[in-house]
Amino acid sequence: MIITAAVLFCSCRNAGERCVAQSGEGGTVAGRLTIEKEKGYTRVTVTEPWQNAQGIRIVWYLVPHGSGLPAGVSEAQTIRIPVRRIICMSVTHIAMLRALGADSLIAGISGASLVYDSAVVAGIRNGRIRDVGYDATLNKELVISLAPDLLMAYGVADPSSGSAARLSETGVKVFYNADYLEDHPLARLEWIRLFGLLAGREEAADSIFSSVYAAYNRLAERVRDSAAGRPGVLLGAPWEDVWYVSPSNSYIGKLIQDAGGHYIYSDMEGPNAVPFSVESVFRKAAEADVWINPGTAETLGEIVSSDPRMASLPLFRDGSIWNNRRRVTAEGGNDYWESAVVRPDLLLADLVSIIHPELMPGYVQFYYRKLE
Amino acid sequence: MSSGGTRMTMSMAGLFLLMIILFMADMFIGSTHMAAADVFRALFGSGPPGDEIIVMQFRLPRALTAILAGAAMSVSGLLMQTLFRNPLAGPDVMGVSSGAGLGVALTLLTLTPLFTVPAGSILAGWGVILAAWAGAGAVMMIIMAVSARMRDIMTVLIVGMLLASAISAVVSLMQYFSNEAMLRTYVIWTMGNLGNISYPQIRALALASAAGLALALTMVKPLNTILLGETFSRTVGVRMQRTRIILLASASILAGSVTAFCGPLAFIGVAVPHITRLLFGTTDHRILLPATALTGAVILLFSDIISVIPGGGHIIPVNTVTSLIGIPVVLWIILGKTGPGRRF
Repeated sequence: MIITAAVLFCSCRNAGERCVAQSGEGGTVAGRLTIEKEKGYTRVTVTEPWQNAQGIRIVWYLVPHGSGLPAGVSEAQTIRIPVRRIICMSVTHIAMLRALGADSLIAGISGASLVYDSAVVAGIRNGRIRDVGYDATLNKELVISLAPDLLMAYGVADPSSGSAARLSETGVKVFYNADYLEDHPLARLEWIRLFGLLAGREEAADSIFSSVYAAYNRLAERVRDSAAGRPGVLLGAPWEDVWYVSPSNSYIGKLIQDAGGHYIYSDMEGPNAVPFSVESVFRKAAEADVWINPGTAETLGEIVSSDPRMASLPLFRDGSIWNNRRRVTAEGGNDYWESAVVRPDLLLADLVSIIHPELMPGYVQFYYRKLE
Repeated sequence: MSSGGTRMTMSMAGLFLLMIILFMADMFIGSTHMAAADVFRALFGSGPPGDEIIVMQFRLPRALTAILAGAAMSVSGLLMQTLFRNPLAGPDVMGVSSGAGLGVALTLLTLTPLFTVPAGSILAGWGVILAAWAGAGAVMMIIMAVSARMRDIMTVLIVGMLLASAISAVVSLMQYFSNEAMLRTYVIWTMGNLGNISYPQIRALALASAAGLALALTMVKPLNTILLGETFSRTVGVRMQRTRIILLASASILAGSVTAFCGPLAFIGVAVPHITRLLFGTTDHRILLPATALTGAVILLFSDIISVIPGGGHIIPVNTVTSLIGIPVVLWIILGKTGPGRRF
C-alpha cells in the first residue's frame, strides 16, 4: 500500500548519473528538475527532492484530464492537468502561481502570517484560502477536506515518517518541490515551468523564465565588464555568541558573486550554514565594505543594542548596511522570500546597486533597505 | 587541626592561583589565533585597535563572565544540596532556571515579547535578560511562599520539581507553535553562552552574584548544622523557617541571575559542589563555600577554553562542555558506594 502511494522512488546508484533539465530557450539551470515531453503526457522527475536524498528520484506523469494513462503508469503516479485546487506549503510556490496569474488555484497555504502577497492575504482573510499549518501542526483533516488535486510540499529531510507521508497514504498527492535546494537563483526560477505545466500556463511560464533569465545575465555581464574591484561583503547576523555563516556556494553566495562582490567567506563551501564564533567573524569582517541581511534589525541602533561590539566594525563607519526587509507585513511576511524567487533579476539589481552603486545611479531598491 | 587548617589554606591558595592562570589562558586562547605578544599589547592598550577590540571586548568579558557565573552557579548548587540534604539537587531543582527559560521563551518564541526594549534606550539589549529575571523571580516567590507554609523541606523540593516540569511543558508548547528561526534562537539560548555580555551587564551580574554570595556567607553556621538534621538544628537554636527563606533567596538570586545572562548552565551547579567536597575532604561550609566558588570559576574557565577546541573560528556551546565534564562526576556519585553521596 505504501509503495503504491503517490510517489515512485527509484534508486539510481550509478554515480554521476545526473538529470539535466530539458529547457526551452534560455538554457537549463535547474539541477533537480527534469521535464520530458512525451506524446500525450509529460514526465517530471525530481532528483534529490530533499536534503541528503542522494540517489532518490521521484517521477510524476502529468496527463491532461480525460486522456488515458501511459502504459505501465498507475493513477497514483499521475497528476491530471490543469490542476484545479492546489495547497502551497511554501511562499515560493505562491509566488510562482501569482506570477502566472494562477493564484485562483490556491486552496490552502501553510502559515498565514508568513504570506506577503496582498491578494493571497485577502483570500486567507475572506476564507477562500485556508491555512493548513505546517510540520507537526499540519491539519491533515483540513487538507483532506479541501480535496486538493495536489499538495506542493518541500522536504527538509526524508519525509517518509512525516505528516505529509501520512497524507499520501490517504490518497492526497504530495509533490516534493526542491526549488529551495537549488543553489542558483536562476535554477530556482526555472521551477516556474513546473507550475506552468500544472496550471496549464506553460507558455507564460516559459516566457517569464526566458525574459528574467536574460535580464539577469545581461546585468551580471555588465557587472563583470564594468565593475571596478570587488567590495567585501559581510552576510548574516550574530546571535548570542554564534554566527551562522552561509557557504559561498549558497543561493545568496552566488548572488553576491554575480553582483560583483567579494563574499568574505568565499573560500568556504558546503551544503549548510556553519556556526562560527562571533570573534572570528568579527575579525574577518574587517575586510568587508558592505553588510547585508543583518537578521531582523531595522536600524543601526538595533544592531548595536543586540551586540555593541559591531559598532566598532570598520564598515559601520564607512560602509553601508542593508536588510532585505523593504517589503514586509506586520504579521511577519517578507516578499524577499516570496516574489524574489521569480524576480532574481530585481534581487540582483538591488545587490549590484548596493555593492557597486556607481553602476546604478538613482536606482531605488525593491527588496533591500538601507539601515540608518 | 592546625595542620589541617594549613592544608585547606594551601589548597585554597592553589585553586586561586589556578583560576588566575586559566583566566590568563582564556585571554590568550580564543577562537581565532592571536600571538601572545599581541594579546599583551592589547591588554595594556598599546596594540592595534583591531586586536584591542578582540581582547577587551570579546575575550576579557568572556573570561570575567566565566568566573562570575561559575562561582555563582556552583554556590547556588551547594546551598540547594545542603538545604535539601540531597546530593543530586542543583540550582534547577526549584524551577528557577525553568522560570528564567519561560521568560526567555515568552520573549523569543512569540511575536509580542514580554519586554520590548526600544533600541538606543538605556536598557537596549536587556530584553532577554529582564524577561529571564522576571521568570526566575516569579518562581522564587512561589517557592518561598510554599516554603513558609510547609514544615517538611521535602515538600518544597517536590513542589519545585513539579513547577519546573509544568513550566517545561509550557515552553515545549510554545516551541511547538513557533517557527524555525525563533526556535533556533531559543535553542541557542538554552545551550549557554558566555560571550555576548557587555560590561554594564557584567557589572549587574557581579552585583547580583555578590548579593547572593553575601547572603550565603551569613548562613555558613546554620548550613553546617542542617547537615546534622533539621530537628537537631532546631534544638541548637537555628530558626529553620528563616534560614530556609534566606538560603532559597540566595540560591535563587545566584542561579536566576546567571541563567538570565548566560542561559541555563547545566551541571555546573550539581557537579562542582561534589568535586569540591572531594578536593577538600570536608563538609564544613566555612571552607566549602569559598572553595566551591573558586572551583566553579576554575571549571567554567576551563570549559570556556575547551569550547574553542574545534579551531578554525568555530566554537562549541559551553553547556555541551560543562555537561561532558559534569556527567561523569554525577555518574560516579550515583554509582560509587563510597562516594561523597554517603555524607548526606
